[in-house]
Amino acid sequence: MPLTPVLSAHWDEADSYTLDGYRRHGGYDALALAFAKQPDDVIQLVKDSGLRGRGGAGFPTGMKWGFVPQGDGKPHYLVVNADESEPGACKDVPLMLANPHSLVEGVVIASYAIRANHAFIYIRGEVPHAIRRVASAVREAYAAGLLGQNILGSGFDLEVTVHAGAGAYICGEETALLDSLEGFRGQPRLKPPFPAVAGLYASPTVVNNVETIASVPSIVTNGADWYTSYGSEKSPGVKLFAVSGHVERPGIFEAPMGTTMRELLEWAGGMRKGHRLKFWVPGGSSVPLLTEEHLDVPYTYEDIAAAGSMLGTGTPMVFDETTSVTRAVTRWLEFYKHESCGKCTPCREGTYWLVDLLRRLESGVGSDDDITRINEVSAQIAGRSFCALGDAAATPFPGAMKYFADEIALGTHTAASDLYDPVAATVLAGVNA
Amino acid sequence: MTVTTASTSGDTLEPRPDLVTLTIDGVETSVPKGTLIIRAAEQLGVAVPRFCDHPLLDPVAACRMCLIEVEGMPKPQPACAVTCSDGMVVKTQMTSAVAGEAQRSVMEFLLINHPLDCPICDKGGECPLQNQAMTSGQGDTRFDGPKRTFPKPINLSAQVLLDRERCVSCARCTRFAEQIAGDPFIELLERGSQQQVGIADDVPFNSYYSGNTIQICPVGALTSAMYRFRSRPFDLASTPTACEHCASGCSLRTDSRRNAVMRRLAAVDPEVNEEWNCDKGRFAFRYLESDRRLTSPLVREGGELRPASWDEALVAAANGLKTADGKTGTVTGGRLMVEDAYAFSVFTRRVLGTNDIDFRPKGSSPEEEQFLAARVAGRGLGPTYADLEGAPAVLLVAFEPEDESPIVLLRLRKAAKAGTRVLAVAPAASRGLAKLDGTWIPSVPGSEATALQNLAPDVVDLFGQAGAVVLVGERAAASPGLLTAVGELCDRTGAALGWVPRRAGDRGALDAGLLPTLLPGGRPVADAAARVDTAAIWGAAEVPETAGRDLPTMLKAVEDREISALLMAGVQLDDLPDGAEAALRAAEFVVVLDTHDHAVVQFADVVFPVAAAPEKAGSFVNWEGRVRPSSQPLRTSLMTDARVLSVLGAEMGVAGLESDPVALMAQLEEFSGWEGARVSPPSVAGAPPDPGPGLLLATWRPLLEATHLQSGEPYLAATARAQEVWLSTGEARELGASEGDMITVTGASGSVTAPLVLAEVAAGAVVVTGNAHRALGASGVRVQVAVEGQG
Amino acid sequence: MPSFLDPIAGFGVTFTTMFRKVTTEEYPEERKPMMPRFHGRHVLNRYSDGLERCIGCELCAWACPADAIYVEGAANTDEERFSPGERYGRVYQINYLRCIFCGMCLEACPTRALTMSHEYELADNNRADLIFEKQDLLAPMSSGMVAPPHAMASGTTEQNYYAGEFDRPEDSAAPTGTAEESR
Repeated sequence: MPLTPVLSAHWDEADSYTLDGYRRHGGYDALALAFAKQPDDVIQLVKDSGLRGRGGAGFPTGMKWGFVPQGDGKPHYLVVNADESEPGACKDVPLMLANPHSLVEGVVIASYAIRANHAFIYIRGEVPHAIRRVASAVREAYAAGLLGQNILGSGFDLEVTVHAGAGAYICGEETALLDSLEGFRGQPRLKPPFPAVAGLYASPTVVNNVETIASVPSIVTNGADWYTSYGSEKSPGVKLFAVSGHVERPGIFEAPMGTTMRELLEWAGGMRKGHRLKFWVPGGSSVPLLTEEHLDVPYTYEDIAAAGSMLGTGTPMVFDETTSVTRAVTRWLEFYKHESCGKCTPCREGTYWLVDLLRRLESGVGSDDDITRINEVSAQIAGRSFCALGDAAATPFPGAMKYFADEIALGTHTAASDLYDPVAATVLAGVNA
Repeated sequence: MTVTTASTSGDTLEPRPDLVTLTIDGVETSVPKGTLIIRAAEQLGVAVPRFCDHPLLDPVAACRMCLIEVEGMPKPQPACAVTCSDGMVVKTQMTSAVAGEAQRSVMEFLLINHPLDCPICDKGGECPLQNQAMTSGQGDTRFDGPKRTFPKPINLSAQVLLDRERCVSCARCTRFAEQIAGDPFIELLERGSQQQVGIADDVPFNSYYSGNTIQICPVGALTSAMYRFRSRPFDLASTPTACEHCASGCSLRTDSRRNAVMRRLAAVDPEVNEEWNCDKGRFAFRYLESDRRLTSPLVREGGELRPASWDEALVAAANGLKTADGKTGTVTGGRLMVEDAYAFSVFTRRVLGTNDIDFRPKGSSPEEEQFLAARVAGRGLGPTYADLEGAPAVLLVAFEPEDESPIVLLRLRKAAKAGTRVLAVAPAASRGLAKLDGTWIPSVPGSEATALQNLAPDVVDLFGQAGAVVLVGERAAASPGLLTAVGELCDRTGAALGWVPRRAGDRGALDAGLLPTLLPGGRPVADAAARVDTAAIWGAAEVPETAGRDLPTMLKAVEDREISALLMAGVQLDDLPDGAEAALRAAEFVVVLDTHDHAVVQFADVVFPVAAAPEKAGSFVNWEGRVRPSSQPLRTSLMTDARVLSVLGAEMGVAGLESDPVALMAQLEEFSGWEGARVSPPSVAGAPPDPGPGLLLATWRPLLEATHLQSGEPYLAATARAQEVWLSTGEARELGASEGDMITVTGASGSVTAPLVLAEVAAGAVVVTGNAHRALGASGVRVQVAVEGQG
Repeated sequence: MPSFLDPIAGFGVTFTTMFRKVTTEEYPEERKPMMPRFHGRHVLNRYSDGLERCIGCELCAWACPADAIYVEGAANTDEERFSPGERYGRVYQINYLRCIFCGMCLEACPTRALTMSHEYELADNNRADLIFEKQDLLAPMSSGMVAPPHAMASGTTEQNYYAGEFDRPEDSAAPTGTAEESR
């Protein structure tokens, strides 16, 4: 399958992030097309395109917009979730750096569709460069009359606020993000009510991922049929695949859904020289890992799920044979322990326990009981935590056990650092040798 | 709720539209829409284990202990957060292995970081975590790693201590503080296993309701400095009591050990205090152990009080009172239970033969007497807490609920959250009013009557709605014409009228007829039929028919030698009008019945020690007019006021005065339902304050202050609010003062210096919080305000 | 058997017994050692630095089927410390008129503060003296001990004490004296 650059088509131009750069290639043309339609027709268009949320859960975007009750007399809000913090996920930040106007345009169209007059872009606090780019794009858009009062004479008003988070993975969970945006401590809210009914400031709110929203202008311009001509029936469209890890050329490749990992690996220049693939994770650390045998699985929601993992954010992490699975899983769990918000018991205490057990395995002092226990504790967390963070924390170890039980069992007597030189897995490998 | 089983096939139950029918553990049940599964299960007798769930707090589903299985849902659901829906099939841990396993594993998680210090934990023995670890946990833990630890307890306030390692992050305390009390001074901080309850660096948890967080903490994370390590649950004998501190009328549970009160908890009383009480009611009971307690009668000999035998004291008192020959006055205070108050009513009229009796502290007026006699006394129950909750609008007049009746504030807050509009005619928009999201109707002290008469038509309309309530505080007496205006407003609009006194005994005293023109049950002294009625119930020949004197008149009469003896019970010098000391000194003979040795006792000729509230059975009547029975937690050799009056009466020749609380209450009951004439309502014109230099002082007594009922409890005292001076921005600017500057307020008799708080204050008024009346006088006096060191 | 022997035969038992080993105990001149697990009078033990083991938790009182134990806890302060940790037993009484020496209290004690000695001479001519107070029950000071209140050993926490780092070696040895642990 070939690359299909849509969002990333002009990232190589020096001024791709400016209004001029964006407009040179038809930027903001979709806006007028959208305004020519009724809002409900825009929602229908997005429904027809089959666009699914690119934040990880893959919920159909048009359906989400359709949940917003209309004519309820309450203000509506659009919130863009740009709190990209998943280990291994790096697609929204580059998008916001290189092409922030596609996001801004998408925000205007989406707000028009759900009849919101105020939109928020909640950007992860640790990426000030992205925040600056988006903020400057919003400023430019205001100056050009693309935001503010009576946009393009359509009679539609929209204010956009760019908000910087304060550094919490949990704030990528949509309700925790809303709490954080309202000025509270970011912790997930009880659902129902769902954000579409009572979200930001208890008003109907749509929370969408950056890539999702940025994809909207191209759909409006080219039509739903164009979009569905890519990918599969259940997973239509094109997507940004961010390949990272032990590859020659890590990077972002925009390709149709259904592209295989083998193709992505080729584009990324293959594995590091002299190394071979050990395992890969299709969409951030929260999904089970896959191995070489899955390289030809098409990158669609349904096929990846059939292979026993999840598409997630669509940002594969690739690991070669220098990597210790035990160490990798321990690092992921340390991340979840550190980021667990503390609200619910299974996640708060479970991640604490898992890290304790995993560190024993990593340092070679674990026992068979510990391995059993990690599996049990993971199962005790899964499905019982308040939000998906707990489920995510329960995923890596059982996933790893499926393919690397033997290696993990070595943790009962040998430290991971003895089996796999930590330096060998890094770019420093061989530097001091 | 109805439980329908196959066996009730004979009944034809009408399906009710507001009910949903579901099956829990195979039992079909119908519950009102919106009922949470955990509540529905409770009604079936199935206790789903829980920590974060509390019936009066919004659900959070944080602890995950109550996970149960709902058919058709892929994951176990928190029973505390999912509402019942029609046709739902719920399986709790009783019938579902999934639910049981989920609960067991959550319990295991909760315990991995919970310390094993139950032996030294105050909660040990009554701990929901201990209990549920037994019912829903497993015998052994599989966790063998290091537990997370924190340094031992830290103070959230002087009273509330936090053991962070014991906390299970259920957030009950923080949710209580935010949702119920409106004092969000505590919040969860940090994240993950480091999550902990904390306070802001500079704001301690000085909430009047902080003690409730200790009570609802499901583990021993929150403990009180006062009760720490004092006893164990199995040491304690629990007695249901009523709170003696204010007219809210909370039901309490008094826990005692070896005849000493160890602690007090809020009892569950949905009609009154729900499950809450205030810190004063919870912690202020150490006065019982004060070394100022009176334990034996005292008689004055050679100018000095000396201990005497009961016989000697009774004879001395009887002789003294007989010598006065009816020229006696009775003054009672707010600590009296209604039975004792009634005994004073009987004693004064039958034995002393006079109507010179008054229960009201200083600041009272003839207008108030008329108002109380006409509109409150003997009217029975109403308006109630439930009425407040259901009211479309509530007007607060001369009443600061947070300080003067804290449980009224909690109920008003609950009401306000559900849409009740609260308005206050007050000199300032207080923080208490802000908690109620209330509307402030500015009025300087003395001009409240005018403010009421000039209410905007839309406000008046609010109170024309069915169920509207007007609550007037006891401070209204000090503002001429105000009670008249309140009564007229209620007459005009049909709003229900509630009088909220500050002290626990006031409403009971009123119903018992401790007013110069009033007999028990709202009967006017002036009404012949009422007197005959009363005499008949008392088995007396007659009841004195001349109206008596109220407190100020009595004190003046003492100085004029028209009254020679005073009988005083539970009266503090602070309660009496200024200059009362001269009258007490002038009185020829003073008999005092009291629990503690304080200033008034020093004027006495005979002193009888009496039992304090926890040492006797009896009841208070709260502001609603609801009888709040109180059992006797402590044994004592001391007699009740009624018993002392009974033996004193016998000594004076009137034998057979009832002293048994049950019999007294039964007799008082006979006075209810009076349908005869009432004292006519007052008609007093408002007297707006004279123009003059300076500002009009507005002040009220705070909940926590240095009174003898709060003595001996330093931790409680340390949570009292600091004194403040509130000025409007305009006044402050004129003064050249800014927030936080020390301001000196000078009145006729003294001055107060406190930091300035910029607030919404009525033009021409200054608010001095805390107990300012001692130094400055009552609300409505003119005071001079200056920045400290200037002026 | 000839009948004249009958009177003598009647003494058979007597004569046999005369030559048996006597079982008379020469109490109180001689005291037999008790079995190791004998339940005698209680002892409130100390750590080897003299701090009390009792934390005033009242679990012994709770466990007591005869309601013979009365305890009141109180908080240690940095200025006045009787036991490691936060809490100590301010009042500790055992009423030997009630005690049935069942040892349930020992089972309940979380710090092994309470053990039983071999002392069984618990009789008196009045009731009051049979209520033993804390000072009557506390183990005597042995060498190296300092009478509380005093601070915990520098650099330690109560955890070190609970973990057995301040146990006297003889605590685990076979019990001998009256003040020794005998369970």
